[in-house]
Amino acid sequence: MKKITDFILNIGKMDRRWIFLIIALVVLLPLYFPIGLPIRPTDSTQTAYDAMDKLPPGSKVLVSFEYGPSTKPEIHPMTYAVLRHLFKKEQKVYITCLWPDGQFMAEEAIDEIAIGEFNLNEGEDYVLLGFRPGNEAVVKGIVSNMRKLYSTDARGTLTDNIPMMKGVNKLADFDFIFTASAGYPGTVEWVQYGADPTGIPMSTGVTSIQVNEVMPYVQSGQVKGILAGMPGAAEYEALVGVPGIGTSGMDAQSIAHLVIVLFIVFGNAAYFIERQRQKKY
Amino acid sequence: MTFGTILGAWIAVFLTLAIFSYLYKDNPFYKVAEHVFVGVSAGYWASMFFWTQIQPNLFGRLWPASEYSADSFWYKIYDGLHVLTSSVFPAGGIDKGHDMHLIYLLPFALGIMMLLSVSSKLSWFARWGIAYTVGMAAGLRAYGFLNSNVIAQIKGSAVQFVGGDIPFFALIGNSIFNNVVILVGTIAGLAYFYFSKEHKGAFGKLTKVGIYFLMISFGASFGFAVMGRISLLIGRFVDLIDYSKAQYNYATIWMLLIMVVVLGYGAFKDKGKGAKVSG
Repeated sequence: MKKITDFILNIGKMDRRWIFLIIALVVLLPLYFPIGLPIRPTDSTQTAYDAMDKLPPGSKVLVSFEYGPSTKPEIHPMTYAVLRHLFKKEQKVYITCLWPDGQFMAEEAIDEIAIGEFNLNEGEDYVLLGFRPGNEAVVKGIVSNMRKLYSTDARGTLTDNIPMMKGVNKLADFDFIFTASAGYPGTVEWVQYGADPTGIPMSTGVTSIQVNEVMPYVQSGQVKGILAGMPGAAEYEALVGVPGIGTSGMDAQSIAHLVIVLFIVFGNAAYFIERQRQKKY
Repeated sequence: MTFGTILGAWIAVFLTLAIFSYLYKDNPFYKVAEHVFVGVSAGYWASMFFWTQIQPNLFGRLWPASEYSADSFWYKIYDGLHVLTSSVFPAGGIDKGHDMHLIYLLPFALGIMMLLSVSSKLSWFARWGIAYTVGMAAGLRAYGFLNSNVIAQIKGSAVQFVGGDIPFFALIGNSIFNNVVILVGTIAGLAYFYFSKEHKGAFGKLTKVGIYFLMISFGASFGFAVMGRISLLIGRFVDLIDYSKAQYNYATIWMLLIMVVVLGYGAFKDKGKGAKVSG
């Protein structure tokens, strides 16, 4: 017994750099040797998928990019999967960005999905309206009169000359909103100033860290489902039927979680054993 | 593959490994990456703000091409600015689909006042701009929170306990059991933040239940935070694996080797110095 407690105590005293190395290895190995753990969509992902799936073809969907390179691994697979779904269903996609770096995330997604996979035409099937500074004031601007805010798109083309902008003047002219958000401004601001005042149905994909903040809006029905971090992306990829980075990262994610849980258990056990020994002597 | 793509991959690998090197200890690679990140971010943001808002939506409304007249005094100022910089002020006015709105001189002035904060004598001007921004944000946020976070959330937590066709128990979704949990959690959680009564007796027990609910919520947040960090690590590793291939000239492997050798040499030298000092 003493040997086991000593072993646990040694783990508790381990240099943090060994922990970093172990985490690096358990993340790296499944990326080289995938196990293929099953992915089952959760209720919230299924709700988001259903909400977008039942839109009739030709619906106007506003997709907002509120993330940058720092959160790309979590959100980018979601936007790829959602855009694939929307373009497959022949929806018209209008892209806005509340984050400046959201614009080049959007450009990358357009290049790969809209042009690379679906060979769509800019201005007819999708439009990149781009970034405007002002956080929630931008959402308010889109709600009241988006033409004032977006007199040109991200390429400098006058919105009056863009065919798919005909009849689109404010948020109420859209059929659905999807926000890919990594923080402020993002999903919360779209709920507060966009979806709630206009009643336009909205769904979202967020970073893991934001899930707890956004979940109350999902529970109350203000947001139709949520894609929660990389697992949410993997689940959406499974529903769309095209596996991507989200799916390939899930093995590493699951094994890393298991190892972290073990570290937490050992850390706590070491703490209690040490406390017990201090009481004794 | 173009030279630019390969160079981009090498830079990405260097910056990623430089940031990771902080896990070993603070070092010059990390410092370089940190400063580059801050500098590039600031530059990119400033440029995006200028070219997506100030140039098209502010200057575009002050000097629109649709109302250009070379004889007017207002456009003579513009022509002067055009001589200074033709990319910001192109010949014949700014064509971004706007009409002239001189009211935009007001936000222009407030913006300039904000910039005056760099001068110690004129920094008081900045208060006007800040006051406007704070006032506007407070008004906007009050309305948003009241509507979506107070009224809608109260509505959302008004759940059904009897009648209807909801099951007694379900792991996920609407059920009588889950609705009771929502009710108890909401009331107990709110009770914990009620400080006008001492947390003793029956009320103390209720607040204790509230603490448990809060702890579960914090635990979920911690779990999600770990999940998020692991996802980001996966993202970087996926890129590093990609860049370790032959088409990128084995960027990851070379860069990793160089960094390990340099950091190892640094550690060896530091150890030598330490030995001399102690000796």
